[in-house]
Amino acid sequence: MREMKISLTFQKQAYAVFFVIILSLVRGVSYSNEIGIALEAPMAILAFTFCADTYTQEIVSRRSEIWRLCPMKKRIYFICRRIVIQEIFLLTVAAASYGLFFLLQNPIIYGMGQNGLESEICQFFVYFTAIAVTLGFWGILSNLISCLFRNMWVGIGGCMVLWLMTNSVIGDRIFGAWNLFSYSFRNLEDSSDFSWIYGKIVCICIGILAMAALPEIIKKRG
Amino acid sequence: MGIKIEDLTVTFRNNVTAVNHADLEIPKGMFGLLGENGAGKTTLMRVLTTVLSPTSGTVTLDGILYSEKNFEKIRKKIGYLPQEIDLYPGLSVQECLEYMGDLSGIPRQIYRERINYYLEKTNLSEQRRKKMKQLSGGMKRRVGLIQALLNEPEFLIVDEPTTGLDPEERIRIRNLLVDFSEGRTVLFSTHVVEDLVATCNQLAVMKNGRFLYSGNMKELLEQARGHIWICKTKEEGTARELEKKYHVSSKQYAGDELRMKLISETPPQMECSPCEATLEDAYIYITNKEPQL
Repeated sequence: MREMKISLTFQKQAYAVFFVIILSLVRGVSYSNEIGIALEAPMAILAFTFCADTYTQEIVSRRSEIWRLCPMKKRIYFICRRIVIQEIFLLTVAAASYGLFFLLQNPIIYGMGQNGLESEICQFFVYFTAIAVTLGFWGILSNLISCLFRNMWVGIGGCMVLWLMTNSVIGDRIFGAWNLFSYSFRNLEDSSDFSWIYGKIVCICIGILAMAALPEIIKKRG
Repeated sequence: MGIKIEDLTVTFRNNVTAVNHADLEIPKGMFGLLGENGAGKTTLMRVLTTVLSPTSGTVTLDGILYSEKNFEKIRKKIGYLPQEIDLYPGLSVQECLEYMGDLSGIPRQIYRERINYYLEKTNLSEQRRKKMKQLSGGMKRRVGLIQALLNEPEFLIVDEPTTGLDPEERIRIRNLLVDFSEGRTVLFSTHVVEDLVATCNQLAVMKNGRFLYSGNMKELLEQARGHIWICKTKEEGTARELEKKYHVSSKQYAGDELRMKLISETPPQMECSPCEATLEDAYIYITNKEPQL
């Protein structure tokens, strides 16, 4: 509960909710299978802006000087706890925003072969898995860059550059199925093509490496 | 034992030297650190809390050398109240302190007992459910001090702990620090001279990154003895001239007469009488004395 009050302030929650409401109002979709594409990249922006202050808030308020005196294991455990709480919240928002698109835009249900409802549920679970990886990756990365430079704006800026590089036609051409946004660039016509999973595996691997590097960065940069 | 600083220098990237070849021994008990703004006190404390690494020189705590491999060991022994700290505004006092207790790795039962004890001692028991953002500056300062005391450190560093406190609270905090200093080392940094008079026997005076004095308070007063003078004048011109020539540590009107306390190596060139030095006078004397080659 204490950790929630620290890392999920009212302002942050309101910002996330307004972000998805506005997104679901302005980003048009015609078919239900486009919702995932419409959501993935903007949700990545939400994740890296949301998580950039996970630890840097301690630096800004000068509490980091006290944190330094605490055992390293505890410090990392507390940071991880904050990341998990934020990710769970973002994942809930991402799931709710999927519903919001249905509610506000009433897209045509795109059948995946059999029953429409079944395919819709299946599509939602695919989206949910992909977005969970996306949110985790961008949240962890922005926290890591922010910690490295002791500044959340550098974290946000660094992630924005990577976002622009990978969420583009050039990024898609260069990285293909290994792109961080492979889910958004997947072939919508071919629902049996799951090669976008490679991109998500890249996200998971980089995310694990970032988490492994975090203790060293916290130790060095404080 | 305690802290030993040898030939310590801290130079920042912009070539500003905040601590310049400083040597100091901090024994057990209350130890005061006095100096003007920008003297290097906070930088020194940041080195002692392992936040900053010195450019050169060595520091040891109870014989343990400050080095990367010993930092974990040293940090366990230290409690720190920084000059400026903004504790979690969205948490209540109790939650905030429990959070800091958890973070420090203190068993829950123990930190809860300590929180209750120190809240009582700092007169904050009734505020425990209040959110941090609702507290006054002085109350926040006291909560900050409690967090520094939570792990009952062997070496406590407090950077201007009495800032923003009313006189009664200042006395309470000073007494708490003195009680806490039994068998431990408390480094008390301030520029409020009377706080040091009330709590410390030993002190160091810092200026421009160097220690101008370190040792017993009585000896510091002794050094200033014979250099403090009381002059009385009715003429404004004379008063202005005295102010230009000497350091004036206090001024007071007594009827139509202006009573000035001057600090001078030699007797001023007018009728003056010597007087006893206070710590404030001694501090001004020592920080403005010409360096002896």
